[in-house]
Amino acid sequence: MIQHLLHISHVSKHFGGNVAVSDVSFSVNEKQIFGLIGPNGAGKTTLFNCITGFFPATAGDVIFDNKKINALRPDQVCKLGMVRTWQRVKPLENLTVLENVMVGAFSITNSTGEAEANAMEQLQKVGLTDYVKKSAGSLPIGLKKKLELARVLATHPKMLLLDEICGGLNHTETDLLLDIIRGIRMKGATIVFIEHDMKAVTSICDRIVVLNSGEKLAEGTPEEITSNPDVIAAYLGGGHHA
Amino acid sequence: MSFLQPLLSGILTGGVYALAGIGMSLVFGVMNISNFAHGDLMMLGMYMAYFAFTLLHIDPYLSLVLIIPTAFFFGFMLEKLFINRVIHHPHQNQILLTIGLGLIMSNTALLAFTSDPKILTTTYSSSAFNLPGDISISLPLLLSFLITCVIISILYLFLAKTSTGMALRATSQNREAAQLMGINVAKMSAIAFGIGTALAATAGALIAPTYYIHPLAGHSFLLKAFTICVLGGLGSVVGAGVGGIIIGVVEAMSSTYLSTDWKDVIVFVLFLAVLLLRLEGLFGKKGGR
Amino acid sequence: MKHIALVTLIAATAIALPLFIGENPYIIGILISVLMMAALSSAWNILGGYAGQYSFGHAAYFGAGAYTTLIMLTLFNTLNPVICILVGIVVASLIALMTGSIVFRLRGHYFGLASIAVAEIVRLSVLNFECTGGAQGILLTDISLWGLDLNSKNPFYYGMLLVLAVTLAITAYLRRSKTGYYLQAIREDQDAAASLGINLSFYKNKALLISAALTSVLGSLYGLYIRFIDTSAVLDLRLSIEIILTAIIGGVGTLWGPVVGAILLVPLAEILRSNLLGEALVKAGLVSETSGIGIFLKENLAHAHVLVYGIITVLCILYLPKGILGLYRRKQ
Repeated sequence: MIQHLLHISHVSKHFGGNVAVSDVSFSVNEKQIFGLIGPNGAGKTTLFNCITGFFPATAGDVIFDNKKINALRPDQVCKLGMVRTWQRVKPLENLTVLENVMVGAFSITNSTGEAEANAMEQLQKVGLTDYVKKSAGSLPIGLKKKLELARVLATHPKMLLLDEICGGLNHTETDLLLDIIRGIRMKGATIVFIEHDMKAVTSICDRIVVLNSGEKLAEGTPEEITSNPDVIAAYLGGGHHA
Repeated sequence: MSFLQPLLSGILTGGVYALAGIGMSLVFGVMNISNFAHGDLMMLGMYMAYFAFTLLHIDPYLSLVLIIPTAFFFGFMLEKLFINRVIHHPHQNQILLTIGLGLIMSNTALLAFTSDPKILTTTYSSSAFNLPGDISISLPLLLSFLITCVIISILYLFLAKTSTGMALRATSQNREAAQLMGINVAKMSAIAFGIGTALAATAGALIAPTYYIHPLAGHSFLLKAFTICVLGGLGSVVGAGVGGIIIGVVEAMSSTYLSTDWKDVIVFVLFLAVLLLRLEGLFGKKGGR
Repeated sequence: MKHIALVTLIAATAIALPLFIGENPYIIGILISVLMMAALSSAWNILGGYAGQYSFGHAAYFGAGAYTTLIMLTLFNTLNPVICILVGIVVASLIALMTGSIVFRLRGHYFGLASIAVAEIVRLSVLNFECTGGAQGILLTDISLWGLDLNSKNPFYYGMLLVLAVTLAITAYLRRSKTGYYLQAIREDQDAAASLGINLSFYKNKALLISAALTSVLGSLYGLYIRFIDTSAVLDLRLSIEIILTAIIGGVGTLWGPVVGAILLVPLAEILRSNLLGEALVKAGLVSETSGIGIFLKENLAHAHVLVYGIITVLCILYLPKGILGLYRRKQ
C-alpha cells in the first residue's frame, strides 16, 4: 500500500469576506515530487501558509505523517519534519551564510559543532561553500534561493514545501536547482513544489494539482495536466481572473 | 455626587485628548511612525499660548490663529530635516529618533524657561456655570471642547474634500500604491507631520489655561495619546476621536469612584487590554504584525 | 589568542583600577556608574541587541531588584543582602514572565509601546503603594555583609564589575550557542525563524528572563550602594531610554558595544551634570565666573546633560545607527 505523507482534506481559508482557498483536497505520497501550480492569486502560497501553521485553515484538515497538524505552530510543524521555503526569500541578512544554515541545523541538535558540520554538508550540496563567511544579505538572488534550500535541508525534513524556488533564476540556475531537488528526493524526502514556470514543473513533477481562484481545477500527471483544456484556459485567461 | 458630573467633565477633557490622539494617529497612518516627541510638541504649544498671553496679551484661544501655522511649519521642517531620513528604518530607530528630538525640545525648554511651572491665568480660568442637578461645568474646559469640535470638523472636511486631503488618505491606505498613482508621498509625510504637530500644539494651547505649564508637561500626555490611538486603531482619525473621549471618561470615572492615584494605571491596563484583545482597535486598519 | 590577551588585560586593568585611584570617592563613584550602565546595557543587549526585541521598559526590572532589596532590609535589618538579591531576581522574573506573556504577542510598534505601558504600571503601582514608601522612596540606614566595610565604595565597584563580567560571559557564551543563534534568527526575520523550528515565544521569554534577572541584580546592588531609592531614580522611563541609548552608541548586538557606550556616555553626563566643564572654562580664563555666560553655565549646565543625550541620540540614529563598534565591524 502506498503511504500518504500529506493529506489535505477540504481545506478552506477565508480572510474576512475574501475566500483565498476553497475546499481543496489532495494527497501527497512519500518520495513524490508534487507540483502545485496555478495563475497569480490562485491561493498556492496561502495554502502553504495553512499547511505550515502560519495561519490556520478556516475549515478542513491537514494530516501529515498520520497526525492532524491544523492547530500546530510553524515551529511544531517543522519539528515534525515538514519545512517550507519562501517565495520572497527570507535570508537572516546580518548572519553569515554558514550561520543561516546552522539555524536550520539546530532544529535537530543542540551542539554548535554538529550544527556547523551539518550546515557545511548542506552548503556543499547546493554549491555555496565559497560563500560561507559572507553575510546572507549580500548574496545575489540566485544564491539566496540556494541558501533557502540549504537552510531547510539542514533540518533533515521528511517533506519540503518549496515556494517558487526557481523564480527569478535563469535557465542554467534553474536546471542546477532542479538537479539538486532530484537528488534530495533520491535521498528519501518528499517535495511539494509551487512553481510558475510550467516547463520546470512538468519536467520534474510526478503529479500536479492546479489551483485557480482558490479552487482545485485539476489533478493528474504532467501529461494529463498539460493536455487538460481547463488548465490551458485558466493559464491563457489567467490575467482576467488574477 | 451625580454620575453625570464625571461623565460630562470626562467627555469635555476627552475632547482635548482626542485632538492630541488624532494628530498622532494621522502621523502614524501616513508615515507608519510612532511619534514619541508628540507630548513635547504639546508642551511647546502650551508655552506658545503662555507667551502669546503674557508678552503679546493675546487670549490663549485666539492665539491658536498664530500657533497653528507656526506649529505646522515647525512640524513640516522637523519632518524634512529629520524624520524622513528614517522612514524606511526599523521601528526602533524611528522611536529612538523621535525620543531624541523630544529630549532636545523638553530640555531646551528647561534651559530657556527653567523648571518652574508657569500658570496662565485668564479672567475666566476658574469660572464655571451650573446646570440643573448640581452639575458644574468649567468654562475653559467647555470652550476647549467646542474649539476641538470645530478643529476636528475642519480637519475632517479637509481630509474628505480637498485633493491634498484625499492624497493624504491614499498614502495612509497604501503608501506604495499612492506613489505609483503619482502622489508625492514625501510631501504628504511632511504635511502629515506638520498637521500632527499643529494638532498637538493646539491641544497643548487648549489645556494651557487649566494645567501647570512646565518643560516636562508633555510626557504624561504622550502615553495617553498612544493609548488613545491604539484604542481607536493606530492610523484611524475617527477612532482616535472616539478613543480620546473614552479615555477622558474612564479617567474621570476612575478618579471619582476609585481614586485619583490609580487613574493612570487604569488607563494603561486598558491600553494593554486593547492591544491584546483587539489589535486593530475600534476603527483601525489591521496592524500589530 | 590576541583576543584572550586583550580581554585579560582589560580585566586586570579593571580589577587594579581602584588601587591606583586610592580612596578618591568621586572618581570611584563615576567608575561604579560606568560599570553599572555597561552591565545594564549589556543585559538589555541580550534581549534588544541579539533577539531584536527593543524593550523600552527595563527600568521595571532594575526597580524590582532595588525595591525588593531595600524593602526586605527595612523590614528585617539583619538579613543577608545576598538573600535579598535572590528574592529580587524572583520578583523581577515574575514581572518579566507577566510582561513576556503580554508583549511578545505583539510586533513592531506595539511591542515597544506595550513594554513602556507595563513599566509604567509598575512605576505607578510602586508610587501608590504604602509599603514602597510612595513618592518619598525608601531610605536605608545601615547594612552589613560578611563584615565588609560597606561604607567604602570599593566593594560596590567590585560587585558591579563582577555582574558586568558575568553578563558579558553569558553574552559571549550565548552567541556561540543554539540559543544565541536562535535569538539572532528571531531578530532578523521572525517568520523565517518560526519556519525553521524556532519556538518564538519560548526563546524571547528566555532572553527576557536572563536579561531581567541580571538587571534586577544591578538594581539590588544600586539600592545597597546608594541606600536611597525612589521611583524617579530606579523606575523612570528615562532610565530605560538611557540603557538603550548606551547600547546604541556603542553598537547594538555586539558583545562590547554597551561597554564602549557606557565608557563614553556616563563620564560625559557626569562632566555636564557636575559643571566640570563650566569650572574648567573659568579656570582656563575663557569665561569669567561672574559674567553672564559664567552664571548661565553654572546654573543650567546641570540640566544640559539630558539635552546632550538627546542630541547624541539624534546624531547617532542618523549617522551611526550601528554604533561605534558597528562602524568598525563594517570595515572588516
